[in-house]
Amino acid sequence: MVTPDGWKYLTPQEARAVEAFVDRLIPADELSPGGKDCGCAIYIDRQLAGPYGRLDGYYMSGPFQKGTKQQGPQSPITPAQDYRTALAALDTACRGKYSGKAFAELADNEKDEVIKGLEDGSLKLDGADSQEFFKLILKDTQTGFLADPIYGGNKDMASWKMIGFPGARYDYRDWIDKHNQRIPLPPVGISNHPNWSQ
Amino acid sequence: MARKLPPKDVAIIGLGWTGSILANELTDAGLEVVAVERGPWRDTGTDFSITYMQDELRYRLRHELFLRNSQMSVTFRNKTSETALPVRTWGAFMLGNGAGGAGVHWKPKPGGFSPPTLRSRAT
Repeated sequence: MVTPDGWKYLTPQEARAVEAFVDRLIPADELSPGGKDCGCAIYIDRQLAGPYGRLDGYYMSGPFQKGTKQQGPQSPITPAQDYRTALAALDTACRGKYSGKAFAELADNEKDEVIKGLEDGSLKLDGADSQEFFKLILKDTQTGFLADPIYGGNKDMASWKMIGFPGARYDYRDWIDKHNQRIPLPPVGISNHPNWSQ
Repeated sequence: MARKLPPKDVAIIGLGWTGSILANELTDAGLEVVAVERGPWRDTGTDFSITYMQDELRYRLRHELFLRNSQMSVTFRNKTSETALPVRTWGAFMLGNGAGGAGVHWKPKPGGFSPPTLRSRAT
């Protein structure tokens, strides 16, 4: 389990915004804890601080031009850059629209209005593409929610328990012939297993 | 500095899917074969360890066993009316890296009919 020993990439202000955002994308309900308690913001922070944030390994030489959907990502902007620019612009936009309040300080229904505005592009962000940022943070939140807990999210395997996914198991020999039956075993993560000592 | 390796009958450049099959056939035929592969050696215990190969973020989303586009990529377009653009990260296809190449993500399609197919014909 990852304990948050400080943010590695996000500033405290940015972290507050991301925590508030993931809590609206995955609200706490009978299905699972909220995105924040599941560690989705920690996951995003750790990813942005590492190779994913920089798009290490991607072909990042120019020239850049927009392509078809089939031609894949064609932007020179890395996730680390996008979050930094977009989160600042988001707070500025919120302060302008909601009497000086930053995104994290809004009421839940106001946050949902803002998120919808990003999704449909009606809320403009200075220096960032609203719809692209929305897609990015949604994808990162989902990934953090469903990835192995070693990455900071999916705390206590909350998402795997929700969907009945057995996690990092590898021996399904007893189950191969049992079609359409749920495997009644609790999920295990890469770094924890009931048979291992802590 | 260039090294001169011992002479062999055949030199195969690239030990991916194709190179591995070639090497297997040629050595079966009794030839001495050396393969030169740019990427790393792959070992079952380290690269396909049962304790962490289930890590979908690492292997499926971040493509750890595949060639880094920053090292080498290709351009792509569907039609000649489009401008071919660099594949900045793999999507529809992925180029392999190391022994086994892209073979690490292929699975065979078994011949014959699966039970659901046989059942639907009978009812």
